[in-house]
Amino acid sequence: MTALFSIRDLGMRFGGLLALDRFAMDVAPGSIHALIGPNGAGKSTVFNCVSRFCTPFAGDIVFDGRSLLAEPPHRIVRLGIARTFQNVELLDRMTVLENVLVGLTSHVPRYIDFLPGARRIAAERHAVRQAEETLDALGLLDWRHATAGTLDFGRQKVLDLARALASRPRLLLLDEPAAGLRNREIHQLDRLLVDLARQRGITIILVEHVMQLVMSVADRVTVLNFGHRITEGPPEAVRGHPAVVEAYLGRDAHA
Amino acid sequence: MLLSPLLAWVVPEYLLYIGNVLMMDAMLALGLDVLLGWSGQFAFAHIAFFGIGIYGTALLDMRAGVPFLLGMPLSALLAAAIGFVIALAAIRLRDVYLALATFAFALSMQWLIRTWDSLTGGPDGLRIAAPALFGIVVGTDRRAFVPMAMLLASMLAAMLHLTRSVLGRSLAAIRDSEHAAAASGIDVRRSKIAAFTISAFCAGVAGGSYTLFGSFIHPDDLGIWQLVQVLTMIVVGGSGSIGGVLLGVGLIGVLPELLRLAPAQWLVWQELAYGLILMLTVMFLPLGLRSVLRRNLRTTVPPRTRRGTPTMEHTAP
Repeated sequence: MTALFSIRDLGMRFGGLLALDRFAMDVAPGSIHALIGPNGAGKSTVFNCVSRFCTPFAGDIVFDGRSLLAEPPHRIVRLGIARTFQNVELLDRMTVLENVLVGLTSHVPRYIDFLPGARRIAAERHAVRQAEETLDALGLLDWRHATAGTLDFGRQKVLDLARALASRPRLLLLDEPAAGLRNREIHQLDRLLVDLARQRGITIILVEHVMQLVMSVADRVTVLNFGHRITEGPPEAVRGHPAVVEAYLGRDAHA
Repeated sequence: MLLSPLLAWVVPEYLLYIGNVLMMDAMLALGLDVLLGWSGQFAFAHIAFFGIGIYGTALLDMRAGVPFLLGMPLSALLAAAIGFVIALAAIRLRDVYLALATFAFALSMQWLIRTWDSLTGGPDGLRIAAPALFGIVVGTDRRAFVPMAMLLASMLAAMLHLTRSVLGRSLAAIRDSEHAAAASGIDVRRSKIAAFTISAFCAGVAGGSYTLFGSFIHPDDLGIWQLVQVLTMIVVGGSGSIGGVLLGVGLIGVLPELLRLAPAQWLVWQELAYGLILMLTVMFLPLGLRSVLRRNLRTTVPPRTRRGTPTMEHTAP
């Protein structure tokens, strides 16, 4: 199976720190591919390069046969790549519904503001309907008129995901979706991710520290430390890999 | 009994003057709020664009015989064009750097007006000739009132349209999180440039409207003090909302008139009063008075039970 998404020998530097060092990964279409590693390993930097918030000095990122490095940040979602954020980047003064409407931006033509009233209103109604479907699917419909910043943390994370899903992505980048969630919520997330990948065919790259979730949903796991790939493979093979045990538990645990 | 001297003093013409000033302030503040409240850009060049509107409209009329109905839009377009150019540089800056750079631009524009005295009258100020609308000379508060109301009404209509537009929503998204906005497909640079340009245009219109009832303009009227006044209006009422800005303009705009009733030796405290109001609001009511009025309306709505297959359902904590 050819990869839908490839990262090739990516190099990223922040001042004197080499954040990514010839990092590579290939993601198969329809799969859930976990990206794990200790804090500061460079996981979020990979996402930020894909989002084009960072520009790597070497390597390439290819989605569907097309290099992303030539694209500006706002074009990425138009190509079919959506993401969530580690610290939940909500539009916290806007309503829940407005957050999801912003997520639909890539499906709204840019000239819409200049259309005559009736057509504009029709387009807006259509967008609201789509946003409400997304909210309904994620159980947030009853909160649609609430200000996003007033939601509890679990719902804020779901809303971040709803905003990303509204763009109907082919590739979804999730940055620690389980962080801060309670056990029951993690189980629901588990089912949701599998559902998105298997039912809707969305390819998922999952950055996550909650190993229970990674081991349960991932088809493949890439382990990153100090900016380069330590190992990659199916979850059960990666779990016992000495370098992984060392990176997560320290040298003594391995010995 | 107590009110009678007041009523005798506040003649209708004077009330109309206050009304005109408030309507001009409202246009000025609504324009600045496009940047501050909607896009979250702390840019303070606004007072310069206001000046371009005043001097542009007045000078086009007096020196070139361009009538108000053409001169005012031309001046506003000039303000917008300069705003666009400023934006090209300003989108690279943020926070305090953006505030400083744009404020420096406002001060340099004030300096230019003060220095270019062959055109602007320089430090002597400029006596504004009353413009004519459809052959009728305006110039008085009574005659300016209706045209002012029409200008404000058009700007309010435009602002309402903006708040409901995709651009308006994009700007609000940029204010709350540039990263989430960009990752959702919003062109952050283009939206910010649009906000700067629209904001400058509004300031130009507000400035042009001053020539309808104002008879004199001095470069000192385009400094930090005027900027603080507009800022206070926006912050006290509630930035990012048309209603909030209008509320702030109403409350803060009448303050100088109320202070006029105070003994003369109190007037020196006026600027301090604004500073204090601004500080206290920012500290205790960062979203303005409007947030108090609306607090009960926009909190979390309790969930109703609904059928369906929610994949991730939460119970209230």
